Amino acid sequence: MKKKSVAAKMWQQRKLQLMAWLGMIWLLVFAYIPMGGIVIAFKNYKITKGIWEAPWVGLQHFRDFFANDQFWNIMANTLGISLLKLVIGFPLPIIFALLLNEIKNVTFKKFVQTASYLPHFISWVVLGGILITWLDANGVINDLFVALGFYGDAGRTYFLGENGRYFWLIALISDSWKELGWNAIIYLAAISGIDQQMYEAATVDGAGKLKKIFYITLPSIKGTIAILFVLAVSGMMNSNFDQIFMLSNSLNATRSTVIDIHVYEMGMRVGRYSYATAVGLFKSIIALILLLGANTTSKKLTGSGLY
Amino acid sequence: MKRKNAEEFSGPKVKSSTGSRIFDGINIVFMIFICFLCIYPIWYVIVNSLNDAKDAMSGGIYWWPRVFSLGSYKRVFAESGLLQSFRVTIMKTLIGTVLSVLFTALVGYALSKKYLIGRGFYMAVGTITMFFGGGLIPTFILYKSLGLYDNFLVFIIPAMFSFYNMLIMISFFRELPPSLEESARIDGAGDFTVFFRIVLPLSKPVLATIALFNGVYQWNDYFAGVMYTQSKSLEPIQTYLYRIIATAQSSQMATTAVNVATTTTSTSIKLATMVITTVPIMCVYPFLQKYFVKGMMIGAVKE
Amino acid sequence: MKKRMKQVLAAALAGCMILSMTACGGKKDDVTVSDVKIDPDKPGWEQTADDTADLSWYVNFSWFNTPWGENLVSKKITEETGVNVEFVVPAGNEAEKLNSMIATDTLPDLVTLGYWEGQVNDMIDAEMVYPLNELADKYDPYFFKVANEERINWYTKEDGNVYCYPNSSYTPEDYKNHDNIGSNQTFLVRKDIYEAIGKPDMTTPEGFKAAIKAAKEKFPKVDGQPLIPIGADEFTSSGCNSFDKWLMNFLAVPYEKDGKFYDRYTDPEYVAWLKTFRELGEEGYLANDIFIDKRAQMEEKVTQGRYFCMLYQRTDIQEQEKQIYATDPDKIYIAVDGPKNSKGDDYQLPGSSVNGWTVTMISKNCKRPDKAIQLMTYLMSEHGQKMVYLGVEGETYDMVDGKPVIKEEVAEVLNSDRAQYDKLYGADDAYWMLQDNAMQLAWQPELTEPMGQLEKWTYPYTVYTGQYDVTLATDSDEANANLKINNEWGTTLPKLLLAKSEGEFDKLFDAFVQKRDSLNYQIVLDESTRQMNEAKQKLGMD
Repeated sequence: MKKKSVAAKMWQQRKLQLMAWLGMIWLLVFAYIPMGGIVIAFKNYKITKGIWEAPWVGLQHFRDFFANDQFWNIMANTLGISLLKLVIGFPLPIIFALLLNEIKNVTFKKFVQTASYLPHFISWVVLGGILITWLDANGVINDLFVALGFYGDAGRTYFLGENGRYFWLIALISDSWKELGWNAIIYLAAISGIDQQMYEAATVDGAGKLKKIFYITLPSIKGTIAILFVLAVSGMMNSNFDQIFMLSNSLNATRSTVIDIHVYEMGMRVGRYSYATAVGLFKSIIALILLLGANTTSKKLTGSGLY
Repeated sequence: MKRKNAEEFSGPKVKSSTGSRIFDGINIVFMIFICFLCIYPIWYVIVNSLNDAKDAMSGGIYWWPRVFSLGSYKRVFAESGLLQSFRVTIMKTLIGTVLSVLFTALVGYALSKKYLIGRGFYMAVGTITMFFGGGLIPTFILYKSLGLYDNFLVFIIPAMFSFYNMLIMISFFRELPPSLEESARIDGAGDFTVFFRIVLPLSKPVLATIALFNGVYQWNDYFAGVMYTQSKSLEPIQTYLYRIIATAQSSQMATTAVNVATTTTSTSIKLATMVITTVPIMCVYPFLQKYFVKGMMIGAVKE
Repeated sequence: MKKRMKQVLAAALAGCMILSMTACGGKKDDVTVSDVKIDPDKPGWEQTADDTADLSWYVNFSWFNTPWGENLVSKKITEETGVNVEFVVPAGNEAEKLNSMIATDTLPDLVTLGYWEGQVNDMIDAEMVYPLNELADKYDPYFFKVANEERINWYTKEDGNVYCYPNSSYTPEDYKNHDNIGSNQTFLVRKDIYEAIGKPDMTTPEGFKAAIKAAKEKFPKVDGQPLIPIGADEFTSSGCNSFDKWLMNFLAVPYEKDGKFYDRYTDPEYVAWLKTFRELGEEGYLANDIFIDKRAQMEEKVTQGRYFCMLYQRTDIQEQEKQIYATDPDKIYIAVDGPKNSKGDDYQLPGSSVNGWTVTMISKNCKRPDKAIQLMTYLMSEHGQKMVYLGVEGETYDMVDGKPVIKEEVAEVLNSDRAQYDKLYGADDAYWMLQDNAMQLAWQPELTEPMGQLEKWTYPYTVYTGQYDVTLATDSDEANANLKINNEWGTTLPKLLLAKSEGEFDKLFDAFVQKRDSLNYQIVLDESTRQMNEAKQKLGMD
């Protein structure tokens, strides 16, 4: 068989190429053109002068960031909270989706599914305020723990204080709670796409529930899990800004100052756009490295990744 | 769902049923617990919004309004801009979601084909955009020069494509049985025909998912309204809401003597606004749920 | 399926087309002005009222949400001037919105922002705003008749132009002529508790400590929840007003010494009081709440009466105070004598200065600069001030014996439901962008309780401190150094207050001072001194 030339192949798939190029053009305009703005990370940008007129300062803003004596603490907080969310927070929606799938009563199942995604719609500005009140030493959480006999009245704790001892945990729990049902949607959709004949065959073979979960459901949604995991790993440098901004205070600052908060305090609030952009660029580069690493690992382990 | 259940109950497997029942029991209890955890905060918000605004200032309302009042809702509905804001949000959600899902799916379909020439390059081009953004000011400058500033389309066009959503779509397209596409091609169908007539109808679960994500994003997005518009007539409902609830956060008054009544909105009015703006989008999910019912694909294969 | 899909597509496309046709891009038209020949001896707005215009007005405060055109006052102003205003207010982060508009040259017609914001000079330097004097010469010479000379003087730039006009501005002269200028800073105590412990003297560290302890002992709980002996303003990343700036003012810590800007943070009187608070903290009288709570939680706790005492801005508890007054007038917060320095000096509470609070500018994007300057003239004039402050004569107030008296039903709404008042009437400085408090003093009605006591208490102690208002230019070395120092202070202050021993306090404090020096505090002081001297010269002080 004679190999077709690239040009001929291109012509043959011209419609597909057209579809792809529509996306590429959009990316060019709405992603790549503004991306040129990254140069201000290496400049001293002032809002009243144009980007191009701003003087070059090289890596000064990066040095400024690294030289900050809070740098390592900030990194530790950012990665610490993200790791917790990744290791514990990531599997929860999967488990939830699997368990929900085992519910037989269709009405109940739908009800749970709808209920579970409700907290997603409460914005952090509102939820943060509610949580501060609940986590107060005289709030409901303490009331509950005292009522359950975990500790006496004297043991009431300021969960958001205590030098931030509980901060990471609170960040993890509140985030998981808020997004559990929402994040499960994608897995539920994936599960719904599984071929029913596989389950029927397995039932005939006498497989129990757990066996079906481990030998049919999980392998079938492996690809989705892998992709979302790779994306989650690459997002480790990001924090949930709204959440942390709302819950942080002067007592837990040592555990709650993450990169995004730092950029807000030192950059956005006073208009130091160059500094903010430099830190953003630093984050992006780390994220890209994480993505490539996670993708390679995922491909080796599960056979599926982004590419 | 029903088909599976029916088979399970009719099946002759007494063996697994004891363990299975315990599992089911625990599972149901667990799910009820989850329901409580998820519904309670909404309940809390609703109850507080139904309390008298002044009385709510002292807090401590958990299960039932202490002083029942619809005053907060009346106040919110009396706002003149509210209806227009709703209109803007509904328009941008409908148009934005339909366009975004179709456009993203179209590009995703092309990129799901392993034999697409230059696919690696396209994917790399897209991946980079997930990590590197230009930041607020360059984006602002771009929108302004494209004439999108203070224009309804600023809600639509920049949100028309999402590489992230595309990746999710691709992973679904890949799992579609290739036999269907092949048979259509043998019948002489081109790429566009295959996409619109075979792939899209088969991909309802993923389209519904992405539409949900997109719709919720469009409904909830306040940022575009904050930054890229200035006319009141273009203010989305969430921007309106955000302005009301976020005020206490940034009361940056001069610390000198200024006699200005900064009427911070009371808690119950904030919450009432939240309920009014959030409930409509919450109700969307049950309607999309039917698309998550499995078996669609088998049906297609069998037909 | 195909058919439906096609329908959807067609509908979407059609929608897009219509929208893109009707929506207009941000094209800049040339300036058009009214062709009426302006008589310089009469207000311009009177002469061009038939020529209507829409003006957009950016107000750099996210909490400002009084719309235009719904209430009595705004309707009346539109009727009298022909100007309809659309407010543009940022939701959330003000700096972000303002900076973006500056960077992309999309400023609305009028811009109001705090005088201390770096963007004021940014906009002037980038020639994005009109010189007001130029506009006034061209379109409304009457402007100069209503503008206060001293304020114009103060805001005149080196090029001889005036680009902005302040509100809430008081000149040193005003302070000499009026004895009812108030400060916002007060020391508040819960009335019933304070009286129950025998109205103790809280001006000395010893007296203060004894009072706190007595209050906590006698009232350990408020409605079942622990009493918070000392309340405070929100702790932010740059400190806590109650424990730094306001406290310093109560202790009369000077702003300058020997002709130089004084480092108030290391003043021995101030440090001594910080140590007093630390001792109270060590004994458990500084509740964790005050370090954690944000404004919303604090307002809740004020309403519950959970705090015994606090250094706080009186207008910030207005709504709560009224609510308490309505339900249980004994539990209101009253202003009493708070911490004093060891010499017992009078408090030095800052009132508003000639800088005022906000400044208003007219951007060069404005297509109707004539109407904009005329609107400013209107609002600055006595007629406009009366409108903004008192409302419409005969509808919201009557003149009785030459003095304005607010109608009873109007006053009742004002005192019970501010939001409703703004919706219906919109006077009482709801549109404060150009309020002239000094002029309005003449019409001020008798103060009403519970807020009146708080305001009156501040009268004897309110001083002019405008010469010490310092504004550091955005992203300058001084501003960046100051930012880092403030952040350092923000992390140090809670640690100081919660230090377990005086030794630990000293160590922390020394570390802060050292860190501050390494961050180049000197350039901040030098720049402050420079601005102080410049201000004094302009004001003709010493």
